[in-house]
Amino acid sequence: MVQNPQAIIEALNDYNYVADEELATALFLLLKLRKPILLEGPPGVGKTEIAAVLAAWLETDLIRLQCYEGLDLNAAVYEWNYQKQILLLKSAEANHEKMAESEIFSDKFLLKRPLLQAILHPKAPVLLIDEIDRSDEEFEAFLLELLSAFQITIPEIGTIKATHRPYVILTSNRTRELSDALKRRCLYHWIDYPDLDKEMSIVQMKLPDIESELLEQTVAFVQTLRSRKLAKTPGVSETIDWAESLMALGYRRVTAQALHQTLGCVLKTVEDISIVKKENAGLME
Amino acid sequence: MKIQAYSTASLSEAIVAFGQFCRSHGLNVGVQETQDALNAARHDVLVYRPIFKNALRAIFCTSPEEQKRYDRLFSLYWDTNPIDLQPDRKNKIAVTGTLQKKNTAALVLLGQGKSNPDEEEEAKNVSGANASERLRKTDFSKIREIDARELEILADRLFKEMALRLRRRMKNRQINGQIHLQRTIRRSLSLGGEPIKLSFKGQKPKRQRLIVLLDVSGSMDKYSFFLLRFVCALRDRFRQSEAFIFSTSLVRITHLLDTKLLNLALINLAQQADNWSSGTKIGTCLETFYDSYGKQTLNGSPVVIILSDGLDTGSPALLHSVMTKIQRKARKVIWLNPLKGMQGYTPTARGMSAALPLVDDFKSAHNLESLLELETILSNV
Repeated sequence: MVQNPQAIIEALNDYNYVADEELATALFLLLKLRKPILLEGPPGVGKTEIAAVLAAWLETDLIRLQCYEGLDLNAAVYEWNYQKQILLLKSAEANHEKMAESEIFSDKFLLKRPLLQAILHPKAPVLLIDEIDRSDEEFEAFLLELLSAFQITIPEIGTIKATHRPYVILTSNRTRELSDALKRRCLYHWIDYPDLDKEMSIVQMKLPDIESELLEQTVAFVQTLRSRKLAKTPGVSETIDWAESLMALGYRRVTAQALHQTLGCVLKTVEDISIVKKENAGLME
Repeated sequence: MKIQAYSTASLSEAIVAFGQFCRSHGLNVGVQETQDALNAARHDVLVYRPIFKNALRAIFCTSPEEQKRYDRLFSLYWDTNPIDLQPDRKNKIAVTGTLQKKNTAALVLLGQGKSNPDEEEEAKNVSGANASERLRKTDFSKIREIDARELEILADRLFKEMALRLRRRMKNRQINGQIHLQRTIRRSLSLGGEPIKLSFKGQKPKRQRLIVLLDVSGSMDKYSFFLLRFVCALRDRFRQSEAFIFSTSLVRITHLLDTKLLNLALINLAQQADNWSSGTKIGTCLETFYDSYGKQTLNGSPVVIILSDGLDTGSPALLHSVMTKIQRKARKVIWLNPLKGMQGYTPTARGMSAALPLVDDFKSAHNLESLLELETILSNV
């Protein structure tokens, strides 16, 4: 097992993820204290990716729960297979057999959803609860039991304790403030947009074949875009997409034409695109 | 309480005291967090200073704002050099005097220390329960600069509470539709498996559209901005919210209804509003609204809220005809007139009297309390 945060930075580097010291320390504590970690930050800075990378590095499974408005226990934790239960009851009735309740509510009929899967997993998995800010407050409240005691209560069976504590990563885009109760059960880390050097090394790592001039120009351009007030600020994943598209189209540097063709990779609203195009039309020629 | 690391005897004590120090400065650090910090300290995070700092940050903070505050607290607590502060025996009193001052200065920088007594007295006057009661009843246009911030905070809180109330109220409604098999079986357990009570599943009640038209001419802007905040708080309650402002011309500001953008937008709007002429052409503006946005927004019976004093410089006939058209398409038209809050007001202005017969609800909305009364109207649509 790792001895210090520096080891984490190096290990993640092998999996093409650039982590800074702060993030590494937070992850180090996740591994040591086994407390869930809440990652907040703007879209496209690698919050979700870290879970995948961590799972690959720890050689364990990644169990992902995507949150959305209206997510309920049936979709997140468990559900009884009602249809199958009824079929069995009916056939037992027809054959004049007796059925015990424990038989009906047994493992056979239990449909395990991500959270229950994570608890019952034979090896401590990485559990990613993605975009928790999209879920309802009720669901957030339910998570409290799971995140502090790592157990789930099913009325018909009882309380199920985790065989191995999963490494829990929660992500949020901060579209709403999460409850204090949830935050208190988690370690917290805010991932911001990377600075020029870090972003360059990220893109370089993802696209090893990129030429240095193109790399520098794309990253610098996105960095200036970020300092502007746009409807949708581009994230790191947009930078990577853009650089990749430029390479695919055979550009070796960012020209006016290249910008015109590929701006849709970086900017995702019509207003932003037209503003930036208008500004750069004069600048590039 | 110890407020510097050097005054503690052991490392554990220093960490515990640091937890207390952070708590006293507004961070949400409880026993659990302190315990986690001690636990973390056992796991080799102590070897290198930045790691130690980052580790405690991950444990103690829950938002980017708190992280900033934490950084200052950390250096204040751990970086103070004991030699600088060592009490000299010869003139002990003098030194402790300066020490006291130094601390206070640093704490004031953090925004937490004791400020001078006068300010404190004033702050007390504002934050009491009576003060908030008073603020709720104060007319928006008569609010002093000092209270404005307080009022905004209060309004934000009350609007949030209201949005939550409305959300909860919706859930208790019974809708009949398809039988919800799973829930029916689950409920039948207590009755020995006989499904006596059926559960139904149906579509969630469709949320309504909300359209707000705000008069920003002359003295109306202050009222309009509060209503805009109100609409922002209600955004989730409605399927879609649309907002327009008008004085001599109509501007669509729906995209500003994002809470994050709102404050910035209000500042910009306030600056622009001053430049606008005081004459209001309500009829023309509503007609522009009906012609250019009517198709997109006036479908599915929305709720329309118009805030204006009804002092129209255009023709009342035009206003009357366009109001008829809007009223036909809307589920409910609510007209808010802040002047109604004044004593002895009667809606005799030409524009107002032309529009009044076509309005379902005529309210004042001149202060927070009257704005909150809208809750009952909105929850019944």
